[in-house]
Amino acid sequence: MQNEIIVIQGAVKRFGRVEALRGVDLTVRRGEVVVIIGPSGSGKSTLLRCINHLESLDEGCIIVDGIPLTQAENINRVRAEVGIVFQQFNLFPHLTALENITLAQRVVRKRSREESERIAMELLKKVGIPEKAHAYPAQLSGGQQQRVAIARALAMQPKIMLFDEPTSALDPEMIKEVLDVMLALAKEGMTMVVVSHEMGFARAAADRIIFMDEGVIVEETTPELLFTAPKHERTKLFLSKILH
Amino acid sequence: MPDVERLERTLEAKAATLPKERERFDTWWFLVLAVVGVVSLLVFVKPDPFLRIVLFLRDGIGVTVRITVISFAFILVVGLIGGLGRLAKNWLIHGIASLYVEIIRGIPLLVQLLFLYFAFPQVLDGVGAWLIKLSPSLHGAGQWLVDVKPDPFVMAVAGLTICYGAYMSEIYRAGIQSISKGQMEAARSLGMSYFQAMRYVILPQAVRVILPPVGNEFVALLKDSSLVSVVAVSDMTRRGREFMSSSFMSLETWTMVALLYLVMTLFASRVVAYIERKTAFAK
Ligand SMILES: Nc1ncnc2c1ncn2[C@@H]1O[C@H](COP(=O)(O)OP(=O)(O)OP(=O)(O)O)[C@@H](O)[C@H]1O
Ligand SMILES: [Mg+2]
Repeated sequence: MQNEIIVIQGAVKRFGRVEALRGVDLTVRRGEVVVIIGPSGSGKSTLLRCINHLESLDEGCIIVDGIPLTQAENINRVRAEVGIVFQQFNLFPHLTALENITLAQRVVRKRSREESERIAMELLKKVGIPEKAHAYPAQLSGGQQQRVAIARALAMQPKIMLFDEPTSALDPEMIKEVLDVMLALAKEGMTMVVVSHEMGFARAAADRIIFMDEGVIVEETTPELLFTAPKHERTKLFLSKILH
Repeated sequence: MPDVERLERTLEAKAATLPKERERFDTWWFLVLAVVGVVSLLVFVKPDPFLRIVLFLRDGIGVTVRITVISFAFILVVGLIGGLGRLAKNWLIHGIASLYVEIIRGIPLLVQLLFLYFAFPQVLDGVGAWLIKLSPSLHGAGQWLVDVKPDPFVMAVAGLTICYGAYMSEIYRAGIQSISKGQMEAARSLGMSYFQAMRYVILPQAVRVILPPVGNEFVALLKDSSLVSVVAVSDMTRRGREFMSSSFMSLETWTMVALLYLVMTLFASRVVAYIERKTAFAK
């Protein structure tokens, strides 16, 4: 079992004329928490979406847990190991919280109803809302919905969790409850790649911070160094904008 | 099937929380009572000819209902395939589905039925003769094509299915497209295949969106099924024509036929509204 769980080499992704990624190299080690920051349109979401192949690369390669993302059969294997949490939650509105968490367990993992419900209840307890098991997404607050979405991804027992601005659609008072769940996950040793401008979270949980701009990684550093001694002008400029 | 069971549970829970639609309910009752009242009045007060007409039409009513329900079952399937085809990334599948929809939507249903019943058999004859000439080993198949006689009922169901399937494809397509892309992405990112995501995530939501237009299609089909009377199917309309030509009572006959269609469509739209209410869910 090698130590590097995600290896990205020379990743290029184009949308028509737009080059969303212009040659990204990144390696994530097992158990590492990497936070990605950067201005809007810099390619952060695109990078995450390429890691579990919601988008396919135009050039370069991505190897997840030793599996190259090239053939179709590998894509499904990789997706099963990589959970993703979206800014807009994307819960299934026609299913209860519990059913949201059991659906993929049953149709993808072929677990029995009893087992998947038991796992779902454990996860709902873990994210702090077991009492909402039978509520529909529309009956939940944003923070609760996002916690169900995290539980839904965890139910597949992923080795890696990707978070794309998980708190930026939330009201301020709900941000903490979601970040707390993510912090606990980081403490358990989950490998996480998080796009977020929550600097408190980055300081507390990140092993590394990556600053992206215009489709490339501009700077790669630790939380301490980022705030005390950013190397690049662009990083400084960006930090001065988000830090108040 | 467990997911059907779960869906039903969901729907029942939801229906209980929805407000009752008093107003529509009352209008509907009024109309039904009025129409049924008029029909009974006519039958009781003037059994001759009205009771005779109803008795004469009776078989036709059954045929109309049967042809509508059977066609509709096929239409739901053809529409789903057509709708998914229209959304396919594969250009060939997309192209075939689009051609089907565009061609069929541009031809009147009556003409399609006439073509299927009167012209299509000639096409089969031609193909059969060609096969026979082509090779002796194909003689059996060729002869079969030449000999086969179109069954009016089968042709009517086929015609209605082909035509309404095209309209239904567009309804499915719009319904599926109305579900946000994030739903498919979330399902796929959990490891579901495209078809699993469609079946468990997209379609259950799309069905609620498309129910009103699908219901309208059912009612429209019920009425359009009267066109099959031109291809020798003894539906209600054709029975009406037969009665009229033997009795020469146009006014009485067509009044009764119209009233009976009205009763049927009123009940159909009631059932549709009921299903819509049952399947609504909190957004
Ligand atoms: N599906 C798409 N079609 C066309 N262009 C796209 C698509 N997705 C992203 N892009 C473009 O790619 C570039 C990178 O987008 P991306 O969403 O990765 O940025 P981001 O860093 O996540 O920004 P934000 O902070 O606003 O979420 C942008 O210029 C965007 O317009
Ligand atoms: Mg983004």
